Amino acid sequence: MSDILIALRAELRGIFADRQVRLIILVALVIYALIYPYPYRAELLRDVPVVLVDLDRSTISADLARRVNASEAVMLSHDAPDMITATRLVQERRAYGALVIPEGFERALLRGSQSPVALYADASYFLMYQRVMQGAAVPLRQMGAEVEMGRLIAQGTAPDVALAQVSPAVQVEVPLFNPAAGYATYVLPAAFVLILQQTMLMGLALVATRRGQGLGHPVWRVLGRMGAWVALYALLLPVYLIVLPALYGLPNLGNVPAVLMLGLPFVLATGLLAQCVAALFKRGEVVQVVLLAVGLPFFFLSGFAWPVEAIPAHLNWIAQIIPSTAAIDGLVRVSQMGATLPDIGHRLWHLWGLVGAFATVAVSLEVMAHPSTVAGHQTR
Amino acid sequence: MLAVMLREFRLILRRPALLGLVVVLPVLMLVVLTGIFRAGIPTGMAVVVVDLDRSDLSRSITRMLDAAPEITVREQALSLTDARAKIVAGHARGAIYLPQGLERDILRGAPPEIVIFYDNQHMSAGSLVARGARGAIDAALTGLRLSVRQGQGEAPVQAMVSIQPIPLQAHALFNPAFDYVHFLLAALVPTVLQIIAAAATAYAISLDFGPGRHPQVLARMAGGVLPAMLGKILPYTVIFLLILGLSDIALYGWLGVPLRGSLLLMATGAVLFVLGVQLIGAAAFVLTRDMGRAASIIAVITAPAFGFMGLGFPREAMSQLAQAWGALIPGTWYVQLRIDQSLRETPLDISVWSVVWLACIAVALGALVLLRLVRLRREIEATS
Repeated sequence: MSDILIALRAELRGIFADRQVRLIILVALVIYALIYPYPYRAELLRDVPVVLVDLDRSTISADLARRVNASEAVMLSHDAPDMITATRLVQERRAYGALVIPEGFERALLRGSQSPVALYADASYFLMYQRVMQGAAVPLRQMGAEVEMGRLIAQGTAPDVALAQVSPAVQVEVPLFNPAAGYATYVLPAAFVLILQQTMLMGLALVATRRGQGLGHPVWRVLGRMGAWVALYALLLPVYLIVLPALYGLPNLGNVPAVLMLGLPFVLATGLLAQCVAALFKRGEVVQVVLLAVGLPFFFLSGFAWPVEAIPAHLNWIAQIIPSTAAIDGLVRVSQMGATLPDIGHRLWHLWGLVGAFATVAVSLEVMAHPSTVAGHQTR
Repeated sequence: MLAVMLREFRLILRRPALLGLVVVLPVLMLVVLTGIFRAGIPTGMAVVVVDLDRSDLSRSITRMLDAAPEITVREQALSLTDARAKIVAGHARGAIYLPQGLERDILRGAPPEIVIFYDNQHMSAGSLVARGARGAIDAALTGLRLSVRQGQGEAPVQAMVSIQPIPLQAHALFNPAFDYVHFLLAALVPTVLQIIAAAATAYAISLDFGPGRHPQVLARMAGGVLPAMLGKILPYTVIFLLILGLSDIALYGWLGVPLRGSLLLMATGAVLFVLGVQLIGAAAFVLTRDMGRAASIIAVITAPAFGFMGLGFPREAMSQLAQAWGALIPGTWYVQLRIDQSLRETPLDISVWSVVWLACIAVALGALVLLRLVRLRREIEATS
């Protein structure tokens, strides 16, 4: 038991006595908490600028433009005489789409024939494309329905029958969770888990590379260190995954015990992985560069931002070795979607499985690195 | 300077750590990132149908949902509660609710509600599910409206015209194939390379200019501190440009992303980008004279850089301060240049500004490093 306590104390000393480790585990956590969310503070895309190319200049075309302008998603910010001018505005990123109302638009509608409108949306930005499409399509569809109904009623159809004919069923779309489609609400809960993992990997791997020869049996040494990580992250993890999201005003449906239940194997698996990383790369400088470089790939491998359905099977298999893959999925479902422990039970087992596997490797590394202490312990 | 460069190349080959950082690591990341996005836009995401009607119509809507490429109808759920539980647990990405009496109400002319529920916490997947389901239900309803009109004696072509008085002709500007995937890849590779190039350059410099090292040997070899520093940096510029070129071959050759703009401008941008990023690493090191602290500075600047580039959430929608911070990072301009010159076919007079910004960043950082080096030289002269 005393061996465990000695290792625990040594690990805590390794973390707090080393300025660089302190910088990574504590200061970097604070700095990232400020910088990462910064681009997404606006949360929503409102009034995306769109160029209006109204070649008809009629009452109905003006009405159409007014309706599109009134939508929350887009704003008709510029008037352009032709598509060339409009395209240039889009290329300069001063607008993200162009609504073209062709000449003869009103005449065709009054004549009772089809009168198309063209929408050019900048598809090089996925989110902008969606918003521009949404902003124009909804008012256009509504106007179309009104025209069709008007024509039916003019032909002598009863208004309620006409309504049913134009829209036989009402289509409702209900976003479950993140109903406002906020970008911060979407990306931050997952990003915070990854930041926690990367700073922890980096800090603890540095401690491991700078550690001298330990005392006691390798198993006790590793257990002691695990105790140190749990003691430290029992404080940091709730602050990062519960308090910080609350400060940013992110919705939280999760129960604290479930977050902690997932957090425990996540912290242990990450800490143990840090020992393996340290043993693999040996030098602190190398460990740091490697861990910095893999952060973004880890995020996309986790299957959160990029759906797991699109990730090739063999890569997805490798991704399961990284604690963040299971932890992001489990923690996001618990905190943002109100999942209960049985819902994410497989993630919990997955993380404990990683703990078991990494612990085995970490203890074997310990035995290989300092074989003498095993003998020393036995003779003591 | 050439002597220092040659020495550096030999050093890279001799030191496995350096070789691993500047060659193996970036190539491995390139392979992994390409692997993740190679399959393209995700398809066949699982949805459940809550069919309380169990009529011919509800079954035909279910079939149309299943036929949408974005989604696959995994199973039926007995109730909305059941469907929600499946979404929360991750077995489905969305649910489509077909109410009881759907077919009867439609025939009676009392419009029922069809509801699409989708998981918007996983926004990228959720919005695709919503799009697929919306399209399928639209198609089903259009079919119904057509059959009503045809039942009234309208010709099929005329009926099609009648139900869509104002059809929307949607065009995807610059990206007709909606190739969002490769666009993302085109930005991720420089972002990861930016981290590696800055950190590896700082590391390489620390090997000669760090505390306890003797830069004067190197300085004498090159005939000055500045040539010595250039000799240290330029070999890595060559290596990182080669890796960037490799990613371009993968992207524009193998994956077939269109390259519509000026190659010369892209190449100039690439050189300035790599130099600028390396100078971030060099500046971080010469300012701190400590690899640990330099790494922390580099981490703070380059690790969150992806968000500031505005690929997910556009830059123009960010606050002024966030835009300004993004403007200080070379990757922001280089990625913009790549997108402009590959997909958007942006005229040169607009796109050249990205290159000008890249040059400004490189010059400013270069001046900073130079100032520090002059001081360093005085210190060296004073001690020797």
